[in-house]
Amino acid sequence: MSAAAPPRGWLLQTWGEEAVAFDAASGDTHYLAPFTRLLFETCRDHPGLTTAEITALLRARLDGAPDTDFHTAIDEGLASLQRIGLLNAP
Amino acid sequence: MKLLQLPPAELRRQLASSGLWLRTGPFSLRVRSRIPSVAEGLAQLYGQFEVRSPHEAFADFHVSVNPPSGLRRWVRPQVCFAFDDMPPFKPLPYDQAFPMLEWGLNWCVSTQAHQYLIIHAGAVEKNGRAAILPAPPGSGKSTLTAALMLSGWRLLSDELTLIDRKTGLIHALPRPVSLKNASIDLIRAFSKDAVLNRPSHDTIKGTVAHLRPLRESVLRQHEPARPGWVIFPRWQAGAATTLAPRSRAQTFMYLAENAFNYSHLGSEGFRTGCALIDRVDCHDFTYSRLDEAITVFDRLAERRGT
Repeated sequence: MSAAAPPRGWLLQTWGEEAVAFDAASGDTHYLAPFTRLLFETCRDHPGLTTAEITALLRARLDGAPDTDFHTAIDEGLASLQRIGLLNAP
Repeated sequence: MKLLQLPPAELRRQLASSGLWLRTGPFSLRVRSRIPSVAEGLAQLYGQFEVRSPHEAFADFHVSVNPPSGLRRWVRPQVCFAFDDMPPFKPLPYDQAFPMLEWGLNWCVSTQAHQYLIIHAGAVEKNGRAAILPAPPGSGKSTLTAALMLSGWRLLSDELTLIDRKTGLIHALPRPVSLKNASIDLIRAFSKDAVLNRPSHDTIKGTVAHLRPLRESVLRQHEPARPGWVIFPRWQAGAATTLAPRSRAQTFMYLAENAFNYSHLGSEGFRTGCALIDRVDCHDFTYSRLDEAITVFDRLAERRGT
């Protein structure tokens, strides 16, 4: 998957599977671990998906059966992206 | 002319009156002080640096290190650092006058020179490539920086790595290397070229002495260097020498958190930092023996040079 364009007001830089994101409004910089970056790109490429649909997409992409840890990682990742504003940005 | 060409009496006279004009890297200073240990430290450590008449030359930073007025002159004498006649810090004991000048100059650069992204890190150069050495206190950064300089690497800086926001190049600020505690004797023993000033005891960092930058580093202080590596040194007693790849994104985050003006520069700081990380290899480096550490760095420089 190619790196998704960052939302307006954000700068995104990727290196390998990781990324850093800069929020021009707050001046904060955030580290996106590989799974968080993947989650962000999935949401950006497929806006409006439910958590279940995101889980299904990632399961297909990562070629594995989801377990409890996987669901937890998705929930926590989405919460983290929403908390920093990267998913809520216009 | 060079500072070493000033007779000691003239150096003391300038410091005590109109001030000594001195160039260090891209910055010019005018230093005033009536304290003998400041004149002594400047003469010992800044001999190769350019001086001019303070009446003729513009200075970026006007600083002074002098005793505060009042009773303090007589009871537990202290010393104050001032920038544009304003003291940004509390006074320190009188015998810490020279380290206070050094720390004050660091403060001037880190709070004023926003044409650079300023990272809290040592930096050295060989074969045209710079190694940036960020690390928390106690990791051996200054010791390794000093040893590299004494082993053929050019000193760019001990504390403040200046990244040019336009070119991405690293500008040199080869001021004396601050050594603490056991590192002082270690570096004295490491090389016959090591010239250190008189140690100051009981500072906030313990015993501190400064190492004179070698002539070659000072002569080339106007020559910027291309970034080659960001290497996080960690001295550990008895450890094997190991160099391991490090995440670029996590390196970026560390540099951002340890840059003096990253927040001040906003998105420009982010872009400058990203451009830096794009150009370098990132490593963690653990060592216990300086000679082995130097060998590893020399191999890196040879590989980049080919």
